[in-house]
Amino acid sequence: MVTFKRLLGFLAPYRAGVWWSLGLAAAAMVMTVSIPFLVGKGIDAINEGRREDLLLLGGLIAGAGLGRLGLTFVRRLIAGRVSLGVEYDLRKRIYGHLLSLELAFFDRQQTGQLMSRATLDLQAVRFFLGYGLVFIMQSALTLVLAAIAMLFVDPVLAALSLLPVPFVIVVATRYGKRSRPAIQEVQQRLAELTADVEESIGGVRVIKAFAAEGRQNRRIRHSSERIFTQAMVSTRLQAYYNPFIAFLPQLGLAAILFFGGRRVIDGTLTIGDFTAFYAYLLMLLGPMRTLGVSLGQAQRATASGARLFEILDRQPAILAPDEARTLPEGDGHVQFEGVWLRYEGSPEPALKEIDLVVPAGTTVALVGATGSGKTTLVQLLARLYDVTDGAVKIDGADVRTLDPDGLRAEIAVVTDDPFLFSATVAENIAYARPDASREAIEQAAERAQAAGFIARLPDGYETRVGERGLTLSGGQRQRIALARALVADPRILVLDDATSAVDATTEAAIKEALGDVGARRRRKGGTGRTTFVIAHRLSTIALADEIVVLEAGRIAARGTHEELLEVNAHYRAIVEKGLPDSVFLTRKPREPQTAGL
Amino acid sequence: MSRRLTADELRRRLKGTSGRGRKLRGLVVLLAPYKWRVAAMFAALIVGTAAALAPAPLAKKAIDDGILAGDVGVLNLVVLAFLASALLVWLGTFLQTYLTGWVGQRSLQDLRVEIFGHLQRQPVAFYERRSAGVLISRMTNDVQALSSLVTDSVTMLFTAGLTLIGSIVILLALDATLAGLVFLIFPLLFAGSLLFRIVSADAYRTTRETIGQITAYLQESLSGIRVMRSFAQEPRHNARFAALNQLNRDANLATVRLNASYFPTIEFVSALGTVLVIVYGGYQAIDAGDAVQIGTLTAFIVALNGFFDPIGQLSQVYTTYLSGMAALDKIFELLDEAPTLEDRPDARDLPDPLRGELRFEGVSFAYDTSAGAPNALSDIDLVVPPGQTVALVGATGAGKSTLAKLVARFYDPTSGRILVDGLDLREARIGSLRRQLGIVPQEAFLFSGTVAENIAFGREDATREQVERAAATVGATQLISRLEHGIDTEVGERGAQLSAGERQLVAFARALVADPRMLILDEATAHVDLHTEAKIEVGLRRLLQGRTALVIAHRLSTIRQAGRIVVLDGGRIVEQGTHAELLESQGAYWRLYRDWAEQAAA
Repeated sequence: MVTFKRLLGFLAPYRAGVWWSLGLAAAAMVMTVSIPFLVGKGIDAINEGRREDLLLLGGLIAGAGLGRLGLTFVRRLIAGRVSLGVEYDLRKRIYGHLLSLELAFFDRQQTGQLMSRATLDLQAVRFFLGYGLVFIMQSALTLVLAAIAMLFVDPVLAALSLLPVPFVIVVATRYGKRSRPAIQEVQQRLAELTADVEESIGGVRVIKAFAAEGRQNRRIRHSSERIFTQAMVSTRLQAYYNPFIAFLPQLGLAAILFFGGRRVIDGTLTIGDFTAFYAYLLMLLGPMRTLGVSLGQAQRATASGARLFEILDRQPAILAPDEARTLPEGDGHVQFEGVWLRYEGSPEPALKEIDLVVPAGTTVALVGATGSGKTTLVQLLARLYDVTDGAVKIDGADVRTLDPDGLRAEIAVVTDDPFLFSATVAENIAYARPDASREAIEQAAERAQAAGFIARLPDGYETRVGERGLTLSGGQRQRIALARALVADPRILVLDDATSAVDATTEAAIKEALGDVGARRRRKGGTGRTTFVIAHRLSTIALADEIVVLEAGRIAARGTHEELLEVNAHYRAIVEKGLPDSVFLTRKPREPQTAGL
Repeated sequence: MSRRLTADELRRRLKGTSGRGRKLRGLVVLLAPYKWRVAAMFAALIVGTAAALAPAPLAKKAIDDGILAGDVGVLNLVVLAFLASALLVWLGTFLQTYLTGWVGQRSLQDLRVEIFGHLQRQPVAFYERRSAGVLISRMTNDVQALSSLVTDSVTMLFTAGLTLIGSIVILLALDATLAGLVFLIFPLLFAGSLLFRIVSADAYRTTRETIGQITAYLQESLSGIRVMRSFAQEPRHNARFAALNQLNRDANLATVRLNASYFPTIEFVSALGTVLVIVYGGYQAIDAGDAVQIGTLTAFIVALNGFFDPIGQLSQVYTTYLSGMAALDKIFELLDEAPTLEDRPDARDLPDPLRGELRFEGVSFAYDTSAGAPNALSDIDLVVPPGQTVALVGATGAGKSTLAKLVARFYDPTSGRILVDGLDLREARIGSLRRQLGIVPQEAFLFSGTVAENIAFGREDATREQVERAAATVGATQLISRLEHGIDTEVGERGAQLSAGERQLVAFARALVADPRMLILDEATAHVDLHTEAKIEVGLRRLLQGRTALVIAHRLSTIRQAGRIVVLDGGRIVEQGTHAELLESQGAYWRLYRDWAEQAAA
């Protein structure tokens, strides 16, 4: 009930429209209800031979019809605008709110679920607020007015003929309640089939490789069968309920014929009134059903509304402080002071007692096994997550006191599986700075060693990539992400396994280019740029000014390459393995058109 | 998107358009297995529709011969008949709804299975030419559109059509002149209806497009939320979303305006019909001095009530018919395409078990067979004795994966032949080859399911024991035991729940469970952490043991251990030999090795 009231709250900005809608609907209903009445009078006039009255009555009916046309036309326009306005507002709020929530929220959610709320649940709510409410009002009003008119003429006959009405409403509501979940389940199974088909097409090489076509055929047959079974559940519901709902009012009509007919014969009812009764009941066929359906809609809307409010009621956990400062001048001096971090719902802390000072302009390599906390640590810099204890300071300021947007503008992260938006290559590279010049974009691409392959793309820099564009290889995406970070020209650069899919030669060139840019910053009078590197490649690691070895969330050792070789066993193991340049490619790398097997 | 119209395309298109007969025949073929049910459906439909037309004439009878004549007996009979017809309608509608649903869904299922089966018969080359999205759309959207055509449209067409004809007949029978007057409105109404449908179809298409854009943008924003937050670009996305939101609102407003104009107008015309009946019909009745006419007038009003609905429904049928036919077109186009790589009628099975000897004799291959297009492989001569590991080395595009694909018979060579155990692959049954050939692609593709199910995929009748043994052999047992449910852990869509290294190991186990005599392996290039890397190396070694293997190699350790290294350049073999031999000869391989070693030391 509370949810229902809150939902009505969305109509608040459109109060005027809602009242006008209701008013116009009521007026239109009066017109509608008057027609059978006038028809009845007309029949009486014909019966009594009152020719002169017919034209008047005909004119009145036409007038009522015209009035109804005008009123309904305007009503629909107004109600339509209200409904669309509510939809617009709801969408805007949900989207904006989702974007303001902290990343930890998204870690726990499935994209599919969120999508379902933002589309299906939203639709259910807006259909109801926009149309459902009006339908309920209209249908109820029609029923009441018609009932009054009929009761006025002949109460007993009215009672008899209106008897089926409550039953129809109840049954129609029941049907609505049962059919919706059935239909949704069909949709669900269709989605499962689609997923199976997608998999079979995506994995066709594997299927062919293992001669598994027969098995896939069986799998699809099974999925299809499930759809059939569920569709039949829905069909059966339809077959049982629809004719039943249509039959019940016929009982009322039969009652009118039987009892009403007798009364006319007895003389206690005029033939005109009889016809009016019949016409009224015919008129009620629609509203009866609509009321039932709309009541079902109301229930669903409330359920959907509850799910929407779950999202809307969530407060963003990472907010800009009230008096946010801007990041002080500097070149990225980073301090981790006694930092502890425990993810929500996780028993073990991800980071334990991290004390680390990274002087501005230096390059630090983070090394450690998967899950040792490397990525977690760097995410704290841009305040993508908040520490559980301790503080992270950049150029002397605790990140929690800073304006998040300003902070993030000075930090750029490149990951090993970078996400590109469905846009052109140029737009993706300029993502952090939409007003970057073409020159700046191309320069960044050059440095990231991406300019070469970009030139060979079908539309060069204007090629659309991302989900709905050309699919690039891992190495290509990494280099574009690197260019993206360079355009942002940040104080702190984080490379999280950022060149894992790039071959050794290219990586060397990238390193050089990065070194160049750092040097340029130094020459401008600063100390260059602070760089965090997370990598598994010895060649990458060995170049850092300092190497930090993480183990299970703690700093296990730190120092230069030579120092660590002597002191830390884990580090020695990495080096001795001769690790990583295990990718044996050649001098002239060309991106594959048909990537491998 | 422009396309050159090749001869093939043209033939296909012509077949498609001239095929209205083809399409209808196709539909008939689809429904043929259920012809009795279809017949019953039509029978129920006719009975139901006829019974639904009864109220008007019955009302006339009740009024004229019962009420106004004062005959209670007739009235009673009419009421009974009325109830009886209502029950018939109930029965008819019930049967018709049920049967339509049943036949519709069954035939859809058949179609889905057939389309999919057809897709599965196609060779890999077929998939490389088409986008996955289009194929998926055939099986989902297009089949759905057909569903609407078969279930809703057909029944609506017949119900509305019969009701309309029935109503017209009844009205004419009641009073021809009055009916004629009323029918004057009819053509106008139908034309207006059709116009509305066409214009609103456009408007609705725009709303669907804008909604699609909103959904896609939302999806993308959620997928890229981390990047968005990192670069603090939320305001920009909010603004773009607002723009899309507005577009959708505008599109919807157009449909609101259309609907606001159309539906009330239809109601008004219906009221006009009533006016005509009362005024004109009334004059007739009074002037003729025939009070009996009242029954007719009432019947008219009753009949008019159900007259205008069918008109609207018919115009709706038209649009659904169009999209259904378009979908049918596309589906048949797909089904008419014959697979280009199939077993020959006289194909033999390869010996089981294979010895595992592989021979290339003068093999050349080009993806594009038109004149002037370069060969991907030229004059390949290679003999691989059973049990040897061959490492294929060369720059990207040198032809390594092409060579591997030919062995797996994803393609046939353009000239020359490939022999396995002395049998030309073109004379062998593809199934028999693939069952004894293990393939491990570069990026391990896993299906949604458990780890065990994925490993078992490698072999039709894999037992739990075999699955676990394969996992153990490849060295994955420890890794698997650390997963939440061990070997029964769900791997998620495309194996998303596992790390890249874990997926690789599962792919190894999958290839192993089939215990193939021959193996084709494309080494993954992604870097994984030290621990997993070690495991993968061990797993790989175990996998290659005792099998003839063709490895597209990237790891030096793999290459060094290979029984033979084959260096490819521009589609030709430039060098062959062991690691030591090739280093000594100081040829292409030696140069590659030297460059790599320099970088590694840096």
